[in-house]
Amino acid sequence: MANENRIGVIGAGTMGAGIAQVAVQGGFEAVLYDIAQEFLDRGLGRIRGFIERSREKGNIDEDQERRILSRLKGSLALEDLADATLVIEAATENLEIKRELFQKLDATCAAETLLATNTSSLSVTAIGGAVKDASRVLGMHFFNPAPLMALVEVVQGELTSDATVAKAVDIVGRFGKTPVRAKDTPGFIVNRIARPFYNEALRILSEGGVDVGTVDRVMRQAGGFRMGPFELQDLIGIDINFTATETLYRAFFEDPRFRPSPLQQKLYLAGHLGRKTGKGFYDYGA
Amino acid sequence: MGPSLAIVGDNRMAEDWFHLARDGGLTVHRYGGAAEVDPATAVVVDTLPHGLEAKKRLLEDLDGTVPGASVVLTSCLRWSATTIACWSRRPERVVGFATFHPLAQRDVIELARGLDTADEAVRAAESLVRGLGKESALVKDAPGLVFPRILSLIINEAARSLDEGIATAEEIDIALRLGTNYPQGPLRWADEIGLDEVLAVVEGLQEETGDDRYRPAPLLKKLVASGRLGEAVGRGFHEHGEPGDDAA
Repeated sequence: MANENRIGVIGAGTMGAGIAQVAVQGGFEAVLYDIAQEFLDRGLGRIRGFIERSREKGNIDEDQERRILSRLKGSLALEDLADATLVIEAATENLEIKRELFQKLDATCAAETLLATNTSSLSVTAIGGAVKDASRVLGMHFFNPAPLMALVEVVQGELTSDATVAKAVDIVGRFGKTPVRAKDTPGFIVNRIARPFYNEALRILSEGGVDVGTVDRVMRQAGGFRMGPFELQDLIGIDINFTATETLYRAFFEDPRFRPSPLQQKLYLAGHLGRKTGKGFYDYGA
Repeated sequence: MGPSLAIVGDNRMAEDWFHLARDGGLTVHRYGGAAEVDPATAVVVDTLPHGLEAKKRLLEDLDGTVPGASVVLTSCLRWSATTIACWSRRPERVVGFATFHPLAQRDVIELARGLDTADEAVRAAESLVRGLGKESALVKDAPGLVFPRILSLIINEAARSLDEGIATAEEIDIALRLGTNYPQGPLRWADEIGLDEVLAVVEGLQEETGDDRYRPAPLLKKLVASGRLGEAVGRGFHEHGEPGDDAA
């Protein structure tokens, strides 16, 4: 029998750690799984740091901090996730790796454990197809940084049951997040509809006669967007943004609406990935 | 006192320009068509977003009615400023602008010169925008310029997603506001702007470039065809109740 209060999270990177934090802050126990102790230590350390700062700021007291952290565990054994009510996978964005992982989870976890992937651009149906009972496989797409972003896309694959979706929506609500249900189509809702924010800006830039600073200023001061498309790509990482566009383009069978920009690819290939490398569309004087 | 200003058009953008200019202390008048415009007018703003025949006629007629105007500032949502300027015998004084209702929310107004636009006309347009308390940004000439072009394509994609049944209109708006921090959900935003103006930009880009990426969403075309243009008429992607009714 699954423990209704336990959430398993796979992958102790930024997203996985963020999701585990959301779960323990929402009152659940979380078991954070990864393949090496150093990854776990880093992920758990990040969560503890965040909760500690939250106490320093006066958002929670010492007692709450202690109770939240007592609900958090790290593990190197997949078996420790066996009785979770829900396992959320936040491993590398690679279909083969995810399919293998889901086969293992399918064999390890209780029959009623929901198996969710945090993929942002792969098909939930393709991942679900790897397991015997795909009706319990769904997408739960958190946004980065998970502890701060309110949205979770709850994605129903072709084989996902309505009961699975309903239960996931309920858990997202108990996490203190806002769920929106989406069908399993490339990019789901946000990554698909937001594509032109980057792609059309890149097209405008490639047509010449305007610089990145002007486009960003117009989008902020005429459009009211918090950041312009180029400063935002530099923040997200040009590698991540380019890969997301390319994945969507292929998933839509090369529909020209999603055609990636050679201009963005050139920065990607040059290793000018934005803030993290000190140079992207802007120069950060690294 | 600034130069006398004529706003031509019978739409919310014309109203927006009129209020902005009047509140800015300019001498401003509103007209339905070229024939009524005071011949002594120094600056003309053409707010017609689409409608080929009417806009063509307006540009032709302004040649005769306002011979002394230093600039004809024309809405270039549906066509490039160059294309519109060619409907006039005086393309050198035609400058494009592109923005969306409500103008009060736009701190920057984009301008574009056509191939034959003179420097003096661009300077006159920039000085008008400055006089209204806004900044200007000179960008490359294309239908919809920068902000209306990018936003219209976001809305076009949202319309496709809605039509394909991926999520409801409400869910799409929530997702984009919370997932990307957009100031508004794209479908509600479209309702505020007017769906006809959004479609005008997408169709303009499709016609200008011939590129398949600018195919308008069938649902957007259907809504415009059926007159569901958004808040101004009470319904668009969402229901808004009676026009002018706050309860939406």
